[in-house]
Amino acid sequence: MCGIVGCVGRDDDTVDVLMGGLRSLEYRGYDSAGIAVGPSMTVMRRSGELDELQAAVDADRPTGTLGIGHTRWSTHGPPTDANAHPHTDENGRVAVVHNGIIENYGELKAELQADGVEFTSETDTEVVPHLIAAELQAGTAPETAFHDTVDRLEGSYAIAVLIDGGETIYAARQGSPLVVGVGKDSTYLASDVPAFIEHTRDVVFLEDGHRVIANKDGYTVLDETRTPVDVAVETVSYTADETGKSGYDHYMLKEIYEQPTSLRQSFSGRIDALEGTITLEEVDEIPQPDAVQFVACGTSYHAALYGAALLRERGIPAEAYLASEYALSPPPLSLGTLVVGITQSGETADTLAALRDANGRGVNTLALTNTVNSTAARECDHAVYIRAGPEIGVAATKTFSSQLVGCNLLVEELVDSSPDLRPLIESLRDLPGDVQEILDTSRAEALVEEYADSEAYFFIGRGTNVSVALEGALKCKEISYEHAEGFPAGELKHGPLALVTPETPVFAIVTGDDERARKTLGNIKEVQARGAPVIAVTDGESDAAEIADETLMIPETNERVAPILANVQLQLFSYYLADTLGRPIDKPRNLAKSVTVE
Amino acid sequence: MSDQTPEDSTRPSTAVVLAAGEGTRLRPLTANRPKPMLPAGTRPILEHVLNALIEAGIDKFHLVVGYHANRVRSHFGSTYRGVPIEYHTQTNQLGSGHALLQARDGPSDPFLLVNGDQVIDHRIVEAVLEAHTDTPATLAVVEGPQAAEYGAVDLDDDEITALIEQPRDGAYRLFNAGVYVFSQQVFETLATLSETQGELPLTDAIGHLLSNDRTVRGVRTDHFWMDATHPWDLIDLSTELLARGWVDATPVDSNCYVDESAHIHPDASLVGPVVVDRDAVIEAGAVVGPYAAIGANVTVGAGTILKDAVVDSGTTIGPNTTAIEFVTGQDCTIGAGFTVAGGPADIVVDDQVHHDIDLGGVLADRVTVGGAATLEAGTLIGPGAVVGDGVVVRDRIDADSEVVR
Repeated sequence: MCGIVGCVGRDDDTVDVLMGGLRSLEYRGYDSAGIAVGPSMTVMRRSGELDELQAAVDADRPTGTLGIGHTRWSTHGPPTDANAHPHTDENGRVAVVHNGIIENYGELKAELQADGVEFTSETDTEVVPHLIAAELQAGTAPETAFHDTVDRLEGSYAIAVLIDGGETIYAARQGSPLVVGVGKDSTYLASDVPAFIEHTRDVVFLEDGHRVIANKDGYTVLDETRTPVDVAVETVSYTADETGKSGYDHYMLKEIYEQPTSLRQSFSGRIDALEGTITLEEVDEIPQPDAVQFVACGTSYHAALYGAALLRERGIPAEAYLASEYALSPPPLSLGTLVVGITQSGETADTLAALRDANGRGVNTLALTNTVNSTAARECDHAVYIRAGPEIGVAATKTFSSQLVGCNLLVEELVDSSPDLRPLIESLRDLPGDVQEILDTSRAEALVEEYADSEAYFFIGRGTNVSVALEGALKCKEISYEHAEGFPAGELKHGPLALVTPETPVFAIVTGDDERARKTLGNIKEVQARGAPVIAVTDGESDAAEIADETLMIPETNERVAPILANVQLQLFSYYLADTLGRPIDKPRNLAKSVTVE
Repeated sequence: MSDQTPEDSTRPSTAVVLAAGEGTRLRPLTANRPKPMLPAGTRPILEHVLNALIEAGIDKFHLVVGYHANRVRSHFGSTYRGVPIEYHTQTNQLGSGHALLQARDGPSDPFLLVNGDQVIDHRIVEAVLEAHTDTPATLAVVEGPQAAEYGAVDLDDDEITALIEQPRDGAYRLFNAGVYVFSQQVFETLATLSETQGELPLTDAIGHLLSNDRTVRGVRTDHFWMDATHPWDLIDLSTELLARGWVDATPVDSNCYVDESAHIHPDASLVGPVVVDRDAVIEAGAVVGPYAAIGANVTVGAGTILKDAVVDSGTTIGPNTTAIEFVTGQDCTIGAGFTVAGGPADIVVDDQVHHDIDLGGVLADRVTVGGAATLEAGTLIGPGAVVGDGVVVRDRIDADSEVVR
């Protein structure tokens, strides 16, 4: 998703700081990039990889004491040089970078065009520099011109503005992430902390409506009425180096291999094997809800399906909703309903919109997230952290695993009457070792050699393994670009079976040996009868391994934990498939790490 | 790019650490990870090595990894205690000189080189760093009976005059501790040498320097240095570390170190020296120690007695077990009433008999042992093996095999 950086107060390395910041935001996904430096304004922008911009920067060596930069993930207009940020007014006096969507840009654009302003891009962003320029033209002071313009914007945005000849950066946050880095003699702005973590770990987390005026002497945070507000400076604990690749070819593989550690971290200190209890310290006592509605997108939605299934098994009505649908067509709820948003980044715009809808309807909300102090964590009544550590690969891996652990812990926190939790606790404690066993022994890479040229890949499962099937297919398609679909196994014969041929391997996730497992065995035979090779992902308790053509084995464990293990095998298959096909695994085309537009 | 600190341009601040080798004599414990990742106390040997280097002022690591490299990478990541790590991959393990060559584009000049699989006192490192001048190489020399097994040296004042590999006679007492400072020239020297018998040891480069009349400095130190050669040496290594308090956990009582996230039942007894790592659980009535290292996420069952034991992370030991002079790998599962009563034993490794070894038994990673099973002294069980209920096992059990009564 779009990324913003900015800095003021650096002597001669402003451009390097901006480019370094953009590099560290690459993981968010982008298709063009640009920078503006001042006080004597230079704007450079390029479509494509950051290296294109770097080459232009290396050739021209622009200098300055302040600047802003941007990586763009296209929403309004295709990725071209003209649509890349920063955008400027006609005279190049005002440069603006923007993340989010300005919903009333059509109206503003028409008004400006009526005044004779010529637009050079198809973006919504371009209205901002023109509006500011018009105010400046009319003799308004720069800061007032900025405030007046921001007052007119509707929608979600984080913007940063530079004015030719000035030594101040103006920025505003409304619905899109923006943080301030507080350096010794310098101030930084960014969509996310890693962009300036090399320079400072002291951070101001802005809230919606906040505006920032930053110059070489420091920064001021104002609210919507232009009144200065006191904001706390927090010191973030992680260092820049935690986001390195540690010698792995891809962040995704590094993050897959980190799972024994990140999973242990997810339950460390929260489970007591001696007492048989589970406690989430960061939440106060939450009364048992009458019902739970999960809202989430993408991989997190698959975790939500799993969480909802666990709650239903414990007798609490629970459903998972796609957040993008929920906000626009909110399902009915009673005041005793808890709405749980699952979002890795805590900034996913669709999920935030759904949670805000729920907040607006007066029910309790809870964020299950990986990001301390994220918008979701701050806006919800409760926040539970999955503690997976920073995830850079666009394809979520370790955070999905930790979300499933988080769901297990959350369910026990929410449900009053607990059965004996010791078997679950034992299985959670075995989880890091079980994942390590898969990493040490997996045949996924060997299977890729056999199946890499298939026409499509299907994934089936029942119960909580539906989540695994859907997630396995999503992972496969997003990084390999191959056609992949996941289905509840019983749905095959209601349509998808028409797609099944000898050229479409089917991954069947079969754990345990209950009714669901036995019925899935029937589905395996169904697809085998159509000639499709079947790869069973199984713990060996049922006959799946004997029936299937190939197996990916997982250690035996508690039925609630088995889906986490099955998913690790599928992560490895998708990774090696994409690697064999030569895909840019950490930065798949068109995708962004955290989707901060609706 | 320079890793030098500006204030002292001769003292190296960059270290190359060799962590690519399996350590075949430690099989079956090395099935899934290289020797530097085996436990010394509750942490990998390599953590202790890096700790010593940090204490000696090193601010950049170049880790040469190879055998099961991902284990090293995912354990340490891109930094360790804030010190950045750059990884270099040695695809085929062709000796320590070949390993160093893989890092030739990394370190600044001069640089420190240490083995990642031997625990060293930071003062050895400091002694070498201080003694190094503008010679092509400086190395640490320690004294001990182990000289016969390592590279013995002849030392004339502070100059090395000869290197003698594994002299096998008692005439030598001084040997090379595997802690060096080299100038960049060592890379050129190594590049001119060829592998003999599929190996290019680092000592060939030193031999080459000596035969060309170049000065190789030697620094005598008598600080702690320890290598685990065989699986049972891990017990002694752990004992030495516990005795020195070189453990990474909070001291709670005299010689008892317990991580804050561990759960110890009030009716369990810790008998120091003992260390209990993160998230471990000690159930009621267990007696742990002296000289027990309980790894992260380990469970010690009710009423179990453990001493002179190294239990690696994730292992579960059932109730009423007695285990003395015992080593486990990671993620083993042991049933109730298991007995391993300790050595001495005569153990055969690669057709060589080791007499009177104080070893009860060794379980490699992910071994499952049923209830009431017994290990006779000196038993080595391969990874993934399953030992059934009530079985008495001895000698060696192969990987992934199943033994039933």
